[in-house]
Amino acid sequence: MTHTSMESAIPSDDSGTQRLGMYEEELKKMNWNLLILEVILFGIGVWNLISASTVQGKAMGLYKTQLLWFGVGMILTALLLLIHCSTLSRMAYVIYFANLVLLIVVLLIGRSSLGAKRWISFGSFGVQPSEFMKLSMVLCLAKYFETDRTVGGYGFKELLLPTFLMIIPCGLIILEPDLGTAMIIILIGLSMLLFMKIQPKTLLILGTCAAIALPLAYQFALKPYQKQRVISFIDPMADPKGSGWNSLQSKIAIGSGKLFGKGYRKGTQSQLNFLPEHHTDFIFSVFGEEHGFVGCVIILSLYLAFLLNGMSVAYQSHDKFGLLLALGIIMSFFWQIFINLGMVMGILPIVGVPLPFMSYGGSSLITSVLEVAILTNIANKKLMF
Amino acid sequence: MAFLGQEQQIREYQERFTYLYTVLFIVIILFLSRLVFLQILNGDKMRRVSEENRIRRIKISSPRGMMLDRNRKILVDNHPSFDLEIIPQYLKQYKNEVIPLLSKITRIPISDINEILEKSEDQPSFIPIKIKTDLTRDEVAEIETWKISMPGVQIQEEIKRTNIYKDIAAHLLGYIGEVNTIELPLLNKKNSLYKLGDTTGKFGLEKEMEKVLRGVDGEKIVEVDALGRIKLEKGKSRVLSGTLEKPANPGKNLVLTIDQDLQLAATKAFGDKTGSIVAIDPRNGEVLAMLSRPAFDPTEFSRGIPINVWNQLLTNENHPLMDKTIQDHYSPGSVFKVITAIAGLEEGVIDEKTKFHCSGSIKVGNRIYHCHKKHGHGDMNVISAITQSCDIFFYRLSQKLKSVDELAKWAYKFGLGKKTGIQLAREIPGLVPTEEWKKKRFNQVWNGGETLSVAIGQSFLLSTIIQLANLYATLANGGTQYRPYVVKSVESIEGQVLQEFGPETVQKTSLSPKTIELIKQGLWGVINSPHGTAFAQRLPGMDCVGKTGSAQVVRIAADKLFKKGGCESMKYNERQNALFAGYAPAKNPVIAVTVIAEHACHGGTGAGPIARAVIKTYLEKYNPDIYSEKAITARLKGQQKVIEQSQISEENEDSISTDETLPLPNTHPIEEMPEE
Repeated sequence: MTHTSMESAIPSDDSGTQRLGMYEEELKKMNWNLLILEVILFGIGVWNLISASTVQGKAMGLYKTQLLWFGVGMILTALLLLIHCSTLSRMAYVIYFANLVLLIVVLLIGRSSLGAKRWISFGSFGVQPSEFMKLSMVLCLAKYFETDRTVGGYGFKELLLPTFLMIIPCGLIILEPDLGTAMIIILIGLSMLLFMKIQPKTLLILGTCAAIALPLAYQFALKPYQKQRVISFIDPMADPKGSGWNSLQSKIAIGSGKLFGKGYRKGTQSQLNFLPEHHTDFIFSVFGEEHGFVGCVIILSLYLAFLLNGMSVAYQSHDKFGLLLALGIIMSFFWQIFINLGMVMGILPIVGVPLPFMSYGGSSLITSVLEVAILTNIANKKLMF
Repeated sequence: MAFLGQEQQIREYQERFTYLYTVLFIVIILFLSRLVFLQILNGDKMRRVSEENRIRRIKISSPRGMMLDRNRKILVDNHPSFDLEIIPQYLKQYKNEVIPLLSKITRIPISDINEILEKSEDQPSFIPIKIKTDLTRDEVAEIETWKISMPGVQIQEEIKRTNIYKDIAAHLLGYIGEVNTIELPLLNKKNSLYKLGDTTGKFGLEKEMEKVLRGVDGEKIVEVDALGRIKLEKGKSRVLSGTLEKPANPGKNLVLTIDQDLQLAATKAFGDKTGSIVAIDPRNGEVLAMLSRPAFDPTEFSRGIPINVWNQLLTNENHPLMDKTIQDHYSPGSVFKVITAIAGLEEGVIDEKTKFHCSGSIKVGNRIYHCHKKHGHGDMNVISAITQSCDIFFYRLSQKLKSVDELAKWAYKFGLGKKTGIQLAREIPGLVPTEEWKKKRFNQVWNGGETLSVAIGQSFLLSTIIQLANLYATLANGGTQYRPYVVKSVESIEGQVLQEFGPETVQKTSLSPKTIELIKQGLWGVINSPHGTAFAQRLPGMDCVGKTGSAQVVRIAADKLFKKGGCESMKYNERQNALFAGYAPAKNPVIAVTVIAEHACHGGTGAGPIARAVIKTYLEKYNPDIYSEKAITARLKGQQKVIEQSQISEENEDSISTDETLPLPNTHPIEEMPEE
């Protein structure tokens, strides 16, 4: 452990100088791709955020906060790179349960905003434990499957425990309520389970159950505003000034960008507040409006490159935990990107899911940055040891 | 061992990556095609929608043109009024902050505001709801200051039409109102300039001059945010540089021929009498005063009249909504006698020497026709007959005419029986009966006795006040009939004259100078001779000329009439209408006036003072050198002796006919029941 410390890059004695030479070589061999892509996407994100948070010609301080969080994230990244992957494996359940406790704390003493309790306040800023749960969940499941010895696909019996691990945090998050995050966690869990292979018979029964449960859930479990979102997704013009508004304005924003966009800070949809939540969930619409098709394709390419790189990290990982962890993280990214972009482009109903690296929000950003740090850690594991 | 097993498992896992790559590929294709669809295929449409999103077209109401009197005194103007409105759509989630603030500023209790909002809950939320009308300047200023923190709150400036002098000349100036569904297609015949909710002239000049008075609304294109708040203009908006504007094209001002001082004098003189007055400049046809009483306040109409006020106006038996100068016709009574005299003189059936004896009544066929003076006037020539309004003289004269058509011919020549063509709608033509007309109308042969009634201005004869005023104006100028007009010019708001109206000759009546001279002499006597029916109305130093009349509105038995105070003892709406028609001064007249005071019994006392007030005001105002009190006093001093002498002699004459010391009802055209 200690010999991998980058802090020791500061020469304290001769042997230190010698070691430095060695690490320089190692550093050169490191896979920086994900970190580089992260910085590029974040850079574009902050630049875009300045435009999105402009009010009456003045940029608000949001981007500064975002930069601060990223700075914090980078420090955490550096620390994480020093830790061996197996530490994460050991700590997985601890992190998971700690996060569960935080979710309970949120429900008890959380700060309310827009009718939902999602934050734990620390002075002027808040922490959203549900965001971190995405990572905790992935860690937990990776750990669980690492030690699991099931052969020939998962049946009901084998699925019971992982399902339980998934349901508890989801239930807590739904209580906040934060449907988007809960859904992301479910999707991460389900895709990981699917990846682990479920018995065809079990899959069939589960699918049938889901098909029956969905309408019932819609009828009884969803809150009226959530139902409205589904309705307005199916028919946005049903209430264009109400619940269909967001989706409609977002589509207008992106569409009006045409090929090259309206120009930086010239997007009328966002600058004039037609676009709701335009610095958080609808950040991509701002970008699409101002930079057009060309800009959107660049962003899509960057995310694609990011996901592919991440997948290759998983692919190349030589231990099961590393592979599953990397895969889970990439799935977490994939689902967030897919749902967010699908939502702003009007392919999916409105669900509050942030776009990694671009949406404003500390907890989401820190989580993403930590995830990238873990991916990089996994990618460079063989070098580190 | 476990390591090897893991290797195998990992290889197994790696095989499953194909699925992941496939899913990723599909998603990317999906997103790309969606982007192509939104940004490339629908880009133009979306761009347009986004433009419309942020752009609000705001109507800039164009002020309606003002109306000014001949001396540029403002009669009708636009006064701004500020209303407080809330657009619920933008209020929504800010309700709890906005309403208390608003309540604090306007001092309307929060509960009241909420109540108003709740009442309008079922209408679309983008429609503004009026919270308070006629805000004070301070309130407006304060709301404007806080506007940025009160989304959904707006101030609507409305320009409200205001008649400065309230009900004076209400009928002439008219009123405006909202366009209704019946008017809309008519107004938009050529180009659709009107929308429902716009205002248009409904009555009087407001209606007649609509095209001139109404401006073209402008349009302000402003950038708004999603809460409907207008972005700060000038430089503040990066997105849209500058604010495009189609300026409002204000309506044009009307300069009228009316003199407001005369209107005020007439209104004062009318008091609570019912009737109307028209004063015309005989030199060109300019209408100097035009009033109908009782009236209404057009301002109330223009701002939406409360239903109870409206009902009161409708049920008022004096018909305040009717313009009695042009919309109602009356028997002209003795005022018409000048036409009979002219017909007699011009047709050659009488001359200045012709005398008829008045014994108080004559018998025609089996009917007795009375004079208003029970015991008769004695021998009358045309001058004294006009002066004393002797009915018998005119009965006898008319008997000499071939038919009633000869009277009608001269009545037409002086503009009776047809519209004068003043710039106002709803003018009615009145009626001058002829033999042919009666045949057509009633399929009856003209009865010779009816000619007698027509000769003294009764029977079927009907004329409007403006016709009579114009008749006397024509007499005053020696026979030129002008078309009366009230609009002198149309001006831009900068005061540039855009259109001017001048005198328009309708016809020239060729009368022999002698005829005119005789008529004028007769008319002069009415006021200036002690025998005259309006001697009491004379204005020392201002030689007014005119004719009184009291026209019967119902048939009255002779004995009832001759009783002392006969008219006043009758039911109000059976009393005679009092008329006065005349001009001043006798030489080179500058003003001709006709007044009707409904059911005021005597032309001299009922209508005379009103005419006198107007004439006096006019002469004093425009010829102070001659007619100011000072000038008159100075002038009269020189003439004192002459006048004193003449008065003594007149008094002597008076003693002969005691009945005439007071101005009496001059015309009692009586159709008594035939003797059995």
